[in-house]
Amino acid sequence: MGLGLLASRALRSSRIFTSPVSRNAIVRTIVSTPELQNPEASAAAQSPPEDLPIRTPVAGARVEFTNPDDAIEVFVDGYPVKIPKGMTVLQACELAGVDIPRFCYHSRLSIAGNCRMCLVEVEKSPKPVASCAMPALPGMKIKTDTPIAKKAREGVMEFLLMNHPLDCPICDQGGECDLQDQSMAFGSDRGRFTEMKRSVVDKNLGPLVKTVMTRCIQCTRCVRFATEVAGVQDLGMLGRGSGEEIGTYVEKLMTSELSGNVIDICPVGALTSKPFAFKARNWELKGTESIDVTDAVGSNIRIDSRGPEVMRILPRLNEDINEEWISDKTRFFYDGLKRQRLNDPMIRGADGRFKAVSWRDALAVVAEVIHQVKPEEIVGVAGQLSDAESMMALKDFLNKMGSNNIWCEGNGMHPNADLRSGYLLNNGISGLEKADVFLLVGTQPRVEAAMVNARIRKTVRETHAKVGYIGPPTDFNYDYQHLGTGPQTLTEIAEGRHPFYSALSNAKNPVIIVGAGIFERNDKDAIFSVVETIAKKGNIIRPDWNGLNVLLLNAAQAASLDLGLVPESEHSIESAKFVYLMGADDVSLEKVPSDAFVVYQGHHGDQSVYRANVILPAAAFTEKEGTYVNAEGCAQQTLPAVPTVGDARDDWKIIRALSEVAGVRLPYDTLGAIRNRIRTVAPNLLHMDERQPATFSALLKPESGNKTSSTPFGTAVENFYMTNSITRASKIMAQCTAMLLKK
Amino acid sequence: MSFRGVKVPANSASLEEARTRVFDFFRSACRSIPTIMEIYNLEDVVSPSQLRTSIASQIRNHSHITNPKVIDMLLFKGLEELNNVVEHAKQRHHIIGQYVVGRGGLVQDLGMKDQGASNFLKNFYDSNYF
Repeated sequence: MGLGLLASRALRSSRIFTSPVSRNAIVRTIVSTPELQNPEASAAAQSPPEDLPIRTPVAGARVEFTNPDDAIEVFVDGYPVKIPKGMTVLQACELAGVDIPRFCYHSRLSIAGNCRMCLVEVEKSPKPVASCAMPALPGMKIKTDTPIAKKAREGVMEFLLMNHPLDCPICDQGGECDLQDQSMAFGSDRGRFTEMKRSVVDKNLGPLVKTVMTRCIQCTRCVRFATEVAGVQDLGMLGRGSGEEIGTYVEKLMTSELSGNVIDICPVGALTSKPFAFKARNWELKGTESIDVTDAVGSNIRIDSRGPEVMRILPRLNEDINEEWISDKTRFFYDGLKRQRLNDPMIRGADGRFKAVSWRDALAVVAEVIHQVKPEEIVGVAGQLSDAESMMALKDFLNKMGSNNIWCEGNGMHPNADLRSGYLLNNGISGLEKADVFLLVGTQPRVEAAMVNARIRKTVRETHAKVGYIGPPTDFNYDYQHLGTGPQTLTEIAEGRHPFYSALSNAKNPVIIVGAGIFERNDKDAIFSVVETIAKKGNIIRPDWNGLNVLLLNAAQAASLDLGLVPESEHSIESAKFVYLMGADDVSLEKVPSDAFVVYQGHHGDQSVYRANVILPAAAFTEKEGTYVNAEGCAQQTLPAVPTVGDARDDWKIIRALSEVAGVRLPYDTLGAIRNRIRTVAPNLLHMDERQPATFSALLKPESGNKTSSTPFGTAVENFYMTNSITRASKIMAQCTAMLLKK
Repeated sequence: MSFRGVKVPANSASLEEARTRVFDFFRSACRSIPTIMEIYNLEDVVSPSQLRTSIASQIRNHSHITNPKVIDMLLFKGLEELNNVVEHAKQRHHIIGQYVVGRGGLVQDLGMKDQGASNFLKNFYDSNYF
């Protein structure tokens, strides 16, 4: 042990003595001790780490060593950090708590290394190196704060700003622009460029993404995102040198369901949101962390609002569900929240027109009618956007009225609510990444659940997993085999006659995904029993791997099945005299008798309102606190971002008030009390942000004796952009439908 | 009767003193009620006892205040208001709006409809936020 090291030890002990807080109390993810370093202990002694302030990794960066032998140690500004082999210099710096400026590097995309902003100095290297593209080598001494690194950054900034327009005051990215921030931090205070700036023709990428291509700094993040994550080859790089530009090669729109994400990854204001253009500044917005309800994925979103208006929706990071992307429907449907809203209780008069009335009168009318019909003639349907609390209240209320005909639309008339594994994505969305063979049965994940599809695409891209698809011809953004269109193909696989059977049975982690569109088929049980036969034969359900998945369509479906919203009789709607629609717009009302009394409780004047006798205005998901369970069984919560519209009320409050007026008062007055009630029915709904996997696999189910019909599988989602009442009211979604779905 | 000569009183030394001052103020307000009834022509809309109740309830609104300085401040404001009222610095609708109708508003639903309803239902009819 050298003298220097001893000296440093003494230094350390004296420091402990002077400061009451022990250094061990501070938790650090990466711990390094000089003893374990390397043969050259003297080098470490020359720059004792004790003199350095303790650093926390940037943005919660963490590292897991799968193989401890792979760990190497590098020094960032003299601070030793242990990283696994193969990490880049930039990642090592992040772990060491040094944030390297970057434009082109994005952790979820391939490395381009073309912006040169991440230059750092490495000892014994003649030039500064681009840290995002340079693999870290053992013992490397990285210097991020030296004059050379600073000068390199300043030079890069000067080149970037040379052709960047000075239109920050009118740029939508202003305030959240990487270029703006980094030029403040690393740029020079003056430029030497006196010629004309270059200008680039704007491209038309469709109704969602606005382009101002002069602002582009050619980082190619959008090109890499489109080809790698979205799986469309629409964007590319044209020209060379100063003529270099991003664009679609021919005049073409960007037709991806994930195209909105290029807005987020663009470090400058070249790609911005078209609907949000010039609407607000980001610093005047209030962010509310919430959940998306347009599909069953439950993407984590942030609702940015100004006053009573939702201004935009952005993704929130959740590695298990949506990573950091969201679909275009999620991002852009919010303008539907301002159109077609129901804001007053209304009763249809004798002339067939609605008349606005007070809540007192509306509830009194409903309560009077519900007592005039027989209990078995009462039917309740929960809509696809209903939260768990209101579904619980609806079920309790109608049960108290003597009826047990309550269901959630999309679940079919005889749903399987007994085994949770029968309606959940048992692998979990992130668990799909481990799969090596996919069999998609009657599901088009690209339109049914775009984020699940992005996961499948990621898996296929990384591990070349095989995908087999049974269903009508459809679009995929990865390689797949179209095995057939109907249940007979499924039977062939189950009997081992189909070539795909061998792929499935030879796979290590096979995955079957059954679409929820099948729930509406009459031979649903038979199809599920065939699928279970395949699962049994292919060893797909094992203690460590439950590869039999169901992909639900709507946000309310999983919670409704957890709560047991199962209709008692299949033909209740034909004999109904009182129909309570809680936001149910996709239920077919043709079979409802003409003398039936229909109550519509919801937030949009959509399809069911035409048949309704009484309208009770409710709050949309941006205006209330509600629990939703996503397709993989993870309970999540929406939070109110904006106030309710007009005289609308929260869904559960309406049912609670109605129950009192009707004389069967429900025993809860607060959300907490209603959640206590849910605890007795489905406690998993209270474990927020935590996936509750199914306990029993579907193999417990008795085999169904029914025969499968030969009808081919249908498409569950005809129009990706318009699937519920909010999206149908949205102008942007209508534009997308018109322009992007053009065949 | 006018309060023109009334001076701003010195600060109350203790809570006790402030308390007696409040009672004095209430008494003087009650004594001026007949004048107020007369000059604002209130006989057909309100009775003296209702006005007394109204004054008392405004004082009770601040019953939780124990700081003599704050009580003095509120007393001063009350005295000023009373002075304005007695001096006919206000008009009839001011008095009716503030002391006769009160915060409930002109259209009060005093029917029997909500009797027996729970607090939840009453709040529900009022607004979504409770």
